[in-house]
Amino acid sequence: MSTWRRILMAVGWSGLGLIVIAATLSEFLARNALGALHAGAPLSPPSEAFPFGTDLLGRDLFSETLYGLSTTVAQAGEAAVLAVLAGGLLGFVTAHLPRPSAASLRWAVGAFAAIPPLLLAILVIAATTRGMVGLAAGLAAAPLAFVRAFDRARRGNFSAHSAYARATGISASALLNRDLAYEFRDTFLPTVARALAAVAIILSTMSFLGFGAIPPHRDLGLMIAAAQRSYFQAWWTAAFPALALMAFILLARLAAGLDEGERP
Amino acid sequence: MWRFALKACGRWALALLGALLIAVGVSALASAKGGYGAALIHTLVSFARLDFGTSALSGQSAAQELAAHLPVTAHLMLFGALVALILGVPLGLVFGSSTIRRVAAPLIQIVSAAPVFCAGLGLAYAARRLGFEENPSLLDGLLLPSVAVGLAGTAAVQMVLRRAASQAQDGPFRIGLRRLGLSAMEIESVYVAPQVFAGLLDALGEVMLALLSAAVVAEWVFKSPGIADLFVKSIALHDWNMAALILFVFAGLTATADFIGRIGARFLVRAAS
Repeated sequence: MSTWRRILMAVGWSGLGLIVIAATLSEFLARNALGALHAGAPLSPPSEAFPFGTDLLGRDLFSETLYGLSTTVAQAGEAAVLAVLAGGLLGFVTAHLPRPSAASLRWAVGAFAAIPPLLLAILVIAATTRGMVGLAAGLAAAPLAFVRAFDRARRGNFSAHSAYARATGISASALLNRDLAYEFRDTFLPTVARALAAVAIILSTMSFLGFGAIPPHRDLGLMIAAAQRSYFQAWWTAAFPALALMAFILLARLAAGLDEGERP
Repeated sequence: MWRFALKACGRWALALLGALLIAVGVSALASAKGGYGAALIHTLVSFARLDFGTSALSGQSAAQELAAHLPVTAHLMLFGALVALILGVPLGLVFGSSTIRRVAAPLIQIVSAAPVFCAGLGLAYAARRLGFEENPSLLDGLLLPSVAVGLAGTAAVQMVLRRAASQAQDGPFRIGLRRLGLSAMEIESVYVAPQVFAGLLDALGEVMLALLSAAVVAEWVFKSPGIADLFVKSIALHDWNMAALILFVFAGLTATADFIGRIGARFLVRAAS
C-alpha cells in the first residue's frame, strides 16, 4: 500500500473519530435542545448567533445538524456491522461449503443482489416497522457484499495454495480458518468503513423518501427532505445538513482506502 | 464460446427465476390474511397464468398500471444511459491513465460522496438560479431527472472503466508484447482498449443497478410519474401487487444487463485475441 493511501486512510479514520465524538457529545455541543422551535427568526441566514442559520420553524440549524448527524452515525454504525456480518462474512463462509449448498445459497442471495439496495431497504421497512431503519439498511446492503465476498473466496478456493493445502492433508475447516484470518485480519476495518459509506447513503436516502427516521429524531436525510420547501429561498437549510452528510460519507470512503475504481 | 453462452443463458434464466420468486413472495403479502403459505401458492399459480393482480392504488390491473408508468422511466433510463456513456467513457479513460489517476482520485472521492438526492436538489437549485424558472416545463419535465440519472450513471461508468484500466495496466502481457517489438500505441489500441471496454461490458449489471437506484431518487425529487416513483408510493400504501411487479422488472433488467454484458465482454476479448 502506498504512503499516500496510508495518509488518506489515516485522515479518514481521524475524521470519522471526530465525527463520532461530535455525535456522542451532541447534547453538550448543541446550543439548543433537540427540535426547539423559534430559537431565532424563521429562515435567518448564517450569523454569529446561528452559524448555520435557522429553518422555517426558527430552529437552530447548527444544533439540528449535530443531532441529525448523531442519529445518522448511530444508525449507520449498526447497519454497517450487520452488512459486514450478514454480507461479507457469511458470503466468505458460504463459499467454503460443499458445492451444491454453496451454489444454491449464492443463487438465492444473488437474486436479491439484482435489486437496488435502496428498494430492498424500503421493502424491509414496509414489511416490518419504521423503527428498524438500521436493520433494513444493513440487510439491504448485505446481498451485494455477500456476492462479492463469495465470488472472491470461490476464486481463492481454486487457487494454487488451496490445492497444495488439500493435497498435503490439511482439513477444509483448517483451511477456512486460515482463509478467514487472511481475509479479515488486515481488511476488517477498511471493510467496515466501506460498508459505513454505503449504508449512510442508503439510510439518508430512505429518510429523504420518508421511510427512515421518525420525528422528533431527525437524521440528515430527513432534514434535507424537510428543507425542500425552503431551500430555493434559504440555501443554508439544505446545504449544511447535506455537507455534513457528504463529509461523513467522504471520510468513510477515505478510511476504507477506496481507489482504482473500487466501489463501496 | 458456445459453451460460455449456454452457461450464461442458464445463469440468466436462474436469475430471472430468482427475481420471479421474490416478486411472488412480496405479492403474496397482499393476500396473506388467510396464512402466508397458502397465499404464496395461490400467487405462484396466478403468476404462472400471467395474472399479476390488481393495484390497490388505482383498481386497475398491476400490469396495466406498470405499462402506463413505464415510458417515463424508460425515457429517464435511456437518456441517463446516453449521458453516462458520453461523459463516463472519456472521464473513465482519462482518469484511468496512471499519471492523472493519482491527481484525480481525491476529486473523484469528493464527487462520489454526494448521494443522488443531494445532486438532484443541487441540479434543481442551479436550474432556478440560472433562470430556468421562466420555463417550468424544464423543471417539471424529464430533462433534469434524466441529467440526474445520467450523472449517477457517469459515476458508475467511469468507476468501472478506471477499475478495468488499472487491472489492464498491471497485465503481464504488456512486457511480452513490447519485447515482440510492438509500439506502446499498438499495445494500447489493439490489446488494452478491448480489455478495458470488456471490463465495462462485464460490469453492465452494476451500471444498470446504479441507473435504477438513481431513477428511484430522481423520479421522487423531480416528481416524474415513472415506475420507480410508483414503487415508493405502492410501498407506502402497502400495495404489494404493484410493488412486486416493479421489483421483478428492476431485478429482471439488472439480470438482463448482466447477461448481455457478460456475453459482449467475452465476444470482445475473443475478437481482440
